[in-house]
Amino acid sequence: MKFYKSDLFKGFAAANLFAFLLIGILKYTALQGSNTLIFSIFVIIPLMMGIIASWFWRNLDFKSRTLLGNSILNGALAILFSAVFLREGVICLIIVSPLILTFIITGAFLGHRMFKKNNQKLNVSIISLLFVVFIADSLSSHDHVNMVSDEIIVKASPEKIWKNVVAFEKIKQKDQFWLFRVGMPSPMQTTVEGYHQGAGRKCIFSNGYTFDEKIVTYKPNEDLTFRITGQPLDPEIMGHIDIQQGQFLLKDNGNGTTTLTGNSWYKLHVFPLWYYDLWAESITRNVHLRVMEHIKQLSENK
Amino acid sequence: MKTNSLFSFVLRYLGFLKAVPLLPLVFDSMLKLQTLWTNAGLLDWMDELEEEILTWQGTSTGLHQYGGVQFNAYGKEIGHLHSNGLLDVLYSKRIKAALIKQGRIEPHHIFTDSGWISFYIKKQEDKNYAKELLEMAYWRLRSKD
Repeated sequence: MKFYKSDLFKGFAAANLFAFLLIGILKYTALQGSNTLIFSIFVIIPLMMGIIASWFWRNLDFKSRTLLGNSILNGALAILFSAVFLREGVICLIIVSPLILTFIITGAFLGHRMFKKNNQKLNVSIISLLFVVFIADSLSSHDHVNMVSDEIIVKASPEKIWKNVVAFEKIKQKDQFWLFRVGMPSPMQTTVEGYHQGAGRKCIFSNGYTFDEKIVTYKPNEDLTFRITGQPLDPEIMGHIDIQQGQFLLKDNGNGTTTLTGNSWYKLHVFPLWYYDLWAESITRNVHLRVMEHIKQLSENK
Repeated sequence: MKTNSLFSFVLRYLGFLKAVPLLPLVFDSMLKLQTLWTNAGLLDWMDELEEEILTWQGTSTGLHQYGGVQFNAYGKEIGHLHSNGLLDVLYSKRIKAALIKQGRIEPHHIFTDSGWISFYIKKQEDKNYAKELLEMAYWRLRSKD
């Protein structure tokens, strides 16, 4: 039998067609802002993909190992199609993969049991419940702003640290964070147009992308707060996260050291929060620490 | 008996989440992935065990509420198997004590004071012992009825 006529192929094709049809409906209707990627896209749709594939595979009598292998392949296809059709970046795909794969596998094994028992009432109930969750999630508002704060102790006075906080030369230290090492842009340099409130500032990343910033609070040796006025058009962050504001606070400890605090505010456009906020916090924290360690090094050396 | 580290970590620190719908199934999927990576043959032995149990009169299988496959006899649970090969079987406390003396099983990984026991399937030979354990629970239930 030709492969494209087989139940195995039909399982892959139907599951992925279903997923892209629903994502398309969500993207091109007014159900959500065009930028928001809701919980259902990463949980309910992969679950349904697993269940749909299992329905096509129900007569193939798959063993667990084969079902698991084919579900991983199904997930890999979905991720590949996301790269091609949704133009998602590599880092985004790395981040999303565990979620997609886990829920496709869960759906496949759930479907495997559902169609083995052939209890139509139960099957309809499960599918209906997932559909209700999908609709409710699609119609709910999604808005999440978070602040990440980190602090380090610098063995220097606030006066010495301040000029390195406002702007600094290129960071030469190698990236420590694993996502930076696999290609995620890391902060490299900050330039400033003037040393006063309202001055423009630029944060330049390792791939050359630049965040445009405007200083909104300029209290020398104490508080530098800047609003992000322009984000780079990088597919890794476009439509997923908006960095809104950044802040450096300096506190003299009275013993020759200063506590340097870095704060960042961001708005997430990807859900579920229990998954993506972990990543966003971790990435923001590592951006902070890379910059703050550099400021510490510059301030303690001179 | 050396236990699975991911499994132990989740039970100890995230066990309270087991009541969240679907989450135990998601966790069991992660165990399946881990098993595929570390001991792929175990997936086949678990399938074989299920097939063998289903040949006994009055048995059925389903999804266990906390993840894994549940084995039932005449509509009552006799045991369940998590996807890391951890088999939990229900006996009386007296039978449990006798089995523990044999040295191959442990008290249940959570309900230590109950009649539940735990046994890890790691090698193909373990599958036969797992079948024996389920068979004892099956006959115990049948004799009761």
